Amino acid sequence: MLGQVLFGGLAVGSIYGLVALGFAVIFKGTEVFNFAQGMFVVCGAYLAVTAMSVLGLPFFAGAVFIVCAAALLGVLIHALLIQPLSGRPMLSVIMITIALCIVLRALIEMIFGSAGRPLSTPLPSGVITLGSLRISKLHLTAMLVSWVCMGGFGAFFRFTPIGLLMRATADGHEAAVVSGINVNLMNRLAWAIGSVLAAVGGLFLGQLQIVSTELESIGLLALPAVVIGGMQSIPGAIVGGLLVGLVEQLAASYVSPKSSDIFIYGLLLLILMFRPWGLFGQRELGRV
Amino acid sequence: MIKNSNSADHVSPIHSSVEGRDNMSHMARNVRWALAIVALLYLPVVLTDRAIFGIPLSNAQLLNLSLTQINLMLIAMMGALSLNFLTGCAGLISIGHAALYAVGAMTAATAGTLWGWPFTLVLLAAGVTGASAGFLAGLPSLRVRGLYFVLSTMALHYIVMYAFLEYQFKFFDVVGIPFKNASLGSFELSTPLRWYGFLLLLTVLVFWGLRNTLRSREGQALTAMRDHELAATSLGVNVRTLRLKAFMLSSAIASVAGALYAYYLTNVTSESFGIGFAIEFIAMIIVGGMGSLGGSLVGAALWLLLPSIINLIASQANETTGLVHLVLVDHKAQLVQLIFGLLVVVLLIFAPDGLAGLSKQWQKRKRNTDSSASAHKGEA
Amino acid sequence: MSNMLDVLNLSVAYPGKGLALQDVSLSVPKGGIVALLGANGAGKTTLIRAVTGLLDLHHGTITSGHIQFKGQSVNGLPAHRLVRMGMGQVPEGRLVFKHLTVEENLRVGAAFLARSEIKQGLEIVYELFPRLRERHLQAAGWMSGGEQQMLALGRAMIGRPQLLLVDELSLGLAPLIVKDIYRQLRVIGEKLGTAILVVEQNARLALDFAESAYVMSNGRIAFSGNALEVANSPAMQESYLGDVQNQPPSEQAQS
Repeated sequence: MLGQVLFGGLAVGSIYGLVALGFAVIFKGTEVFNFAQGMFVVCGAYLAVTAMSVLGLPFFAGAVFIVCAAALLGVLIHALLIQPLSGRPMLSVIMITIALCIVLRALIEMIFGSAGRPLSTPLPSGVITLGSLRISKLHLTAMLVSWVCMGGFGAFFRFTPIGLLMRATADGHEAAVVSGINVNLMNRLAWAIGSVLAAVGGLFLGQLQIVSTELESIGLLALPAVVIGGMQSIPGAIVGGLLVGLVEQLAASYVSPKSSDIFIYGLLLLILMFRPWGLFGQRELGRV
Repeated sequence: MIKNSNSADHVSPIHSSVEGRDNMSHMARNVRWALAIVALLYLPVVLTDRAIFGIPLSNAQLLNLSLTQINLMLIAMMGALSLNFLTGCAGLISIGHAALYAVGAMTAATAGTLWGWPFTLVLLAAGVTGASAGFLAGLPSLRVRGLYFVLSTMALHYIVMYAFLEYQFKFFDVVGIPFKNASLGSFELSTPLRWYGFLLLLTVLVFWGLRNTLRSREGQALTAMRDHELAATSLGVNVRTLRLKAFMLSSAIASVAGALYAYYLTNVTSESFGIGFAIEFIAMIIVGGMGSLGGSLVGAALWLLLPSIINLIASQANETTGLVHLVLVDHKAQLVQLIFGLLVVVLLIFAPDGLAGLSKQWQKRKRNTDSSASAHKGEA
Repeated sequence: MSNMLDVLNLSVAYPGKGLALQDVSLSVPKGGIVALLGANGAGKTTLIRAVTGLLDLHHGTITSGHIQFKGQSVNGLPAHRLVRMGMGQVPEGRLVFKHLTVEENLRVGAAFLARSEIKQGLEIVYELFPRLRERHLQAAGWMSGGEQQMLALGRAMIGRPQLLLVDELSLGLAPLIVKDIYRQLRVIGEKLGTAILVVEQNARLALDFAESAYVMSNGRIAFSGNALEVANSPAMQESYLGDVQNQPPSEQAQS
C-alpha cells in the first residue's frame, strides 16, 4: 500500500514538477511571479477538451494543437499584459497576473460552462501489476512524458544556442542587451515555454481528474513547489514538484483527503520562515 | 527646445482672487460634506420607499438595489479599507483577507453562537482574534518581504480555511454555521434599515480611524517605509514592529468585518471565504486606487454596482438569442468577473493609481486651467 | 560613407533633468582609434548610450541630431540590431554573465555566427587572451576584474564587429593589467582592422592609445583633434594630464 501511494505521489509530483518548471522558466527569464500559472494549466486542460472532443482531432494532431495554442497564449499574455508593465514595481506585475486569473476563469466558464467535463483521450488507462503494486497506466504515462519533457527542456537550455541565449538573458538583462540578444524575443520564448509546460500538465491532470476551472487550485500547487525547491533553481523546481506530489498523496491516504493542503502550505510556511531560498536554492545576498 | 520642469509655465494669480478662491473652496467643501451626509441619510428611505422626494422610481432606475446589498457593500468597504491600509499604504501585499474574514466568522461562531455572548462583545472578541491572527500572519514579514510575503499569506489562507472546515464539521454541520440575531444591548438589528445605520457608523469610524492613523507620525513612517525602506530605516523607524502593527490593525478590522458578515448572512460555510473572495478585495483596491482610502470606497461600491448594472442589461436581453443571450443571461456572473478583471488589467497598465489617481489628475488639470483663467481675468 | 561612425549635432535629454548632451558631433573613421575623454558627468556615458541603442533602457531621448553607423542612420534603433550590424559593445562594469562559463559567455557573443566561424572565433580570442583559455570552463562570476574585462572584450569582438565601443576599461583594474589589455586592444585594431572608440577617465592612457580624441565637458565637446595635439594642449595639461611633459622620452614613445 505504501509503495502504491509513493508511486502515485511521484507520478503526480512529476506533473507538478513540469508545471513548476514552466513557472521557473518564466520567473528566471522575465522575473515575473506568474500567479496565473494555475490558470495556464486549466487552459491546457480545456485546450485538450477542444482538440479531442470539440474538434475531434487524432491524438498526435491534437497534441500539436495544444502545444501551439499554449505557446501562442503565452506570447500574447507577455505582449499584452507583461511587456507594458516592464519597469513597474513588482506589486503591479503580481496584480496583473492575479487579474489575468479572474479574466481567464471567466472566459473559460463563459465558453465551456462552469460544470466539469470528462476528458477522453487515447492515453492508456487501466492498471499494470508489478509484484504487489498495482500501478495506473495513466500515472505511468504521465510520469514518463513529464520526465521526457523536463529532460528535453533541460537539454534545450544546456546544449542549444537559443537555450544559451535564454540562460544568458536570465543571468543579466543589461548584459544580454549589450551582447546583441533580442531580449524581447527571449522573454516571449520564456512565456511560451512556461505556458506549454503548464498545458501539458493540464492535459494529464484533466485526464486524471475532471476538467473544470477547479483545476486552478491544483495548478497553483506549482507555486509552493517552486518556492520549496528553490526559486532560482531549475532542478529545485522539479524536486519541489515531486515533494509536493508525495506530500499530497501521503496526506490524502494516511490523514484525510482534504488535509493535503495544510501539509503542503504548512511546509511552504516553514520554508519561508527558516529557509526562504528553498531547499536547493542559494542564499542570495541582499533582499529576498 | 526642451521644456524644463521648472520653466515658468504657470502665472501666479493675483492675491485677491486667490483668497477669494480659497474662501469659495472652503464653503464648497462644507456644502459638499453636508450634501453627502444628507444623501447618505436619505438613501435608505429612497431604497425602501422606492421613491425619491415622492417621485416613484422603477426598479431599473434603482439598479435593482436593495438596502441589503448596500449593507453588504458597507461590510466590503471595511474589508477594502483595511486591505488598502495594509497593501496600498504599508506596502505588504496580502491575499489572506478572506482568511481573516473567516477568523472573524469563527470567533463569532464560538463566542456568539456557542457561548451566547452579547453581540458587542462578540465583535470585540473578533477584533482581538483578528489582531492575534495578524500578529502570527505578520511574523513571516520579519524574515521575508514582497514576493515571499504574498506566498506566506497564500499559505495562511489555505491553512485557515482548512481549520475553518474542520471547525465547521466538528461543532456544526455541513449545512453551515448559523448565527442568531444581532443586537446592541436591547436594540435589535432586525431590519436592513437598522443594520444600515449601524454599518454606516462603523464604516465611517473605520475610514476616519485609518485616515488619522495614516496622518499620525507612525502612519507617515509607514508610507515612507513602503516607498523607501532603506531611507526609512536610516531615519530611525523601526520598520519591523511597524509592519507588524500595521498587519495587526488591518487584520483586526477585517476580522470584525468577517463577524459582521457572518451575522448578516446568518449562515456561512467555508465556501463563503474562498480565495476568489480575497482576490476580489485586491481587485477592489486596485480599481479604487492603491494607497487611497477614498478609492477603496469607490472600488467596493463598483463591486456592488457592476453586478446590478449587468443584471439590468441582462433583464432587457431576455428575449435575445445566440451569443448575446449566452453572454448576458446564461453567464451573468462570469461577465461581471470578466469586466471586473479587465478593468483591473486596463487600470494597471494605463492608470496605475486607479480611479482615485485619475480623479486627482483631472482635478489638477482643472485647477491649472482655472488658475490660468483667473490669471487672465486679473490681467484684464 | 567614409566614416564608421558619425555623430552629428546630437542632443539628448533625460526626463525632468534637461539636456544631457548638447549639439555633440564626433566621428570614428574606418579602422580608426578614437578616445572620448572628460570628467564624470560630462556626458560621455550618455553619448555612448545614445550610440549603442541603450538610451531607452535609461529613459533618455534623442531630441535632435543624427547618428550614422556605416553610413546608415541608426537613431533609436534597439541595441541588439546595432550589435548585429557590427557594433561590438564592452560596457562599463563589464557585465559578464556571471553564472555562465567563460566559453559560454564567448559563445553568446558568437551566437549569430556559423558553426565553423564560432570555433575560429574562440581560437582567436583564446590566442589574444591565454588566461581565458585556461579558465574556459570556469564560471565567469568567480574571475578577477581583469579577467572579466578580457572576457567582456572577447565576447564583444568574437562576432568580428567593425566598430568596438569600450566604456571605462580601466575602472577598478590594476595599471599593469590595464596596460596589457590596451596592448591587446591595439592588436585587435591593427590585425582585424576594427575601428575602436574608447571612453576613458584615465586620459593619459587613452591618449597614448588613440589616434584622435574628443574631450567633453558639461554635455558638449570642449575640444578635439589628433591625440598628440590634444595631449599637448594647455587645457589638457592643466586639468587632466598633469606632468606628461616631464616623463622621460623613452616612456612617452613606448605606447
